[in-house]
Amino acid sequence: MFLLGRRNFLRGATAIGATAGLGAIKPLWAQTLDNRAVLDVIKKPIPSTGEMIPAVGLGSWITFNVGNDPVLRDQCANVMQAFFDGGGRMIDSSPMYGSSQDVIGYGLDKLGARDRVFSTDKVWTSDDGAEQIAETSNYWNIEKFDLLQVHNLVGINDNLPLLFDMKDEGRLRYVGVTTSHGRRTDDLIAVMKNTPLDFVQVTYNPVDRKIEDYLLPLASERGIGVIVNRPFQGGHLIDRLEGEKLPDFAAEIEVRSWAQLILKYLISHPAVTCPIPATTQPMHAMENMQAATGPMPDDDMRQRIAAVIGVL
Amino acid sequence: MSEWWSYSLADFLLFSPRVYYRLFETLNTTWWLAVTAALVAGIITFGLSIRHGNRGNRVALVLLAMIWGWVTAGFLWYYYQPINWIIPYFIPAFITEALLMVMFAARRMPLRFGWRGDFSSIAGGVMIAMAIFVYPFVGLIEGRELIQAELFGSAADPTAIGTLGFILLARGSWRWVLLPVPLVWCVLASGTLWVMDQNIAMLPLTAVWLTVLGGWMDQKNGVTRRSLLDTGGDD
Repeated sequence: MFLLGRRNFLRGATAIGATAGLGAIKPLWAQTLDNRAVLDVIKKPIPSTGEMIPAVGLGSWITFNVGNDPVLRDQCANVMQAFFDGGGRMIDSSPMYGSSQDVIGYGLDKLGARDRVFSTDKVWTSDDGAEQIAETSNYWNIEKFDLLQVHNLVGINDNLPLLFDMKDEGRLRYVGVTTSHGRRTDDLIAVMKNTPLDFVQVTYNPVDRKIEDYLLPLASERGIGVIVNRPFQGGHLIDRLEGEKLPDFAAEIEVRSWAQLILKYLISHPAVTCPIPATTQPMHAMENMQAATGPMPDDDMRQRIAAVIGVL
Repeated sequence: MSEWWSYSLADFLLFSPRVYYRLFETLNTTWWLAVTAALVAGIITFGLSIRHGNRGNRVALVLLAMIWGWVTAGFLWYYYQPINWIIPYFIPAFITEALLMVMFAARRMPLRFGWRGDFSSIAGGVMIAMAIFVYPFVGLIEGRELIQAELFGSAADPTAIGTLGFILLARGSWRWVLLPVPLVWCVLASGTLWVMDQNIAMLPLTAVWLTVLGGWMDQKNGVTRRSLLDTGGDD
């Protein structure tokens, strides 16, 4: 079976898009969005409230840290456009991510999309958390975030009570805590057991599966939503799989790329609310959203996905 | 930071090579006149620094100070700071470096540039020539476009490498005061480029080693301590 790799697909799409641009035609990703019916994106409930949210979000780590470059800021806005048009809502950032928050604010301004976004950010300081949250609000130009999380448990003894106070006062909808790379999992589990969190954000993908044993069942038991960061291991997993043939069973769940296979693996876990892949390409954002459509793998197929990816 | 041993250098780099090299493209195209002027200033400074005698010392120091001021304001402050969290910590150091150069230009003979023909002079000259004439074009080998060239006088890495060369060309104990900022910057630059998997990463680190070796040989040979009055009149 001829398989178009994610990058080759993008190169072709970019070339076609550039050619199309000569005739003042929209780039391929925008045409593709125009030419199909609105995606019937799977939504999953936030356990603490039952609010439904699209099962794929958008991360901004590295990809949206483009500084003052006007060309790259517009490219990021295009990614957000494709994400929203594909049915996405949750965009996640952090004060740690350089200019990402500012770039998201720019994109929301440009697209007029503040009513479409599920705004998700973090507090990451051992000093004045309230001051940092105020700065973050300025970058996004948003008064009330949907979700704020204590980033990597930094300053958690001060920042978590601050976030719960904001929620009690109606200035914040949801409270969460994040880790990544499997760090401080024991500390995170202790927080999950002892505080009424709405969300945790953790690293999870078919080759980083430690949280399946205890953390994900605990999240289900405690009614805590799970946001998945590093679904592609920061892009390394996709790089590793590029050029490899998709398994035959991928067609059964209407998957056309490794990225979609990985995302379906994550979405189909009952405890997972929303993976947040990051990308610099509108076409990839759209492709990621398409992973939240169609049939999902059952337990048996999930095991096969992990097995296949684990050995490649 | 808990579990600090589980962090790698890559965890602290929050931008991609694509964005990093776009910085130079935007800088070069937006501020082409200032970028060109700074490069010419660097070449003039190189010429002044290898001349025999003391004439042109002050001009060389003032030009170098202006270059460091421009790198700080033009590159670090406006372009690099928004994407790299460590830059705000370096901006005061870069300003201090520029001010020190201005102070040295205002004083009577705190240090002297000049070709001596010893190891340090040769190493210094090679480092400056590399920073001005070679470093900007190494990217071409790695497939980058010429418009993304990192030019001496505007980009921090070749400016720091070249400045280490100027310091090696100088005499006088005060020159070591100018050493820490470009030296530390070169170490940081090497780490950054290494994490981004760029072959050019070895160049700033090579400059550091040459500077350390040259400085050690100068100390050993008594070059640093030799009277600055030996070389003739003031400019």
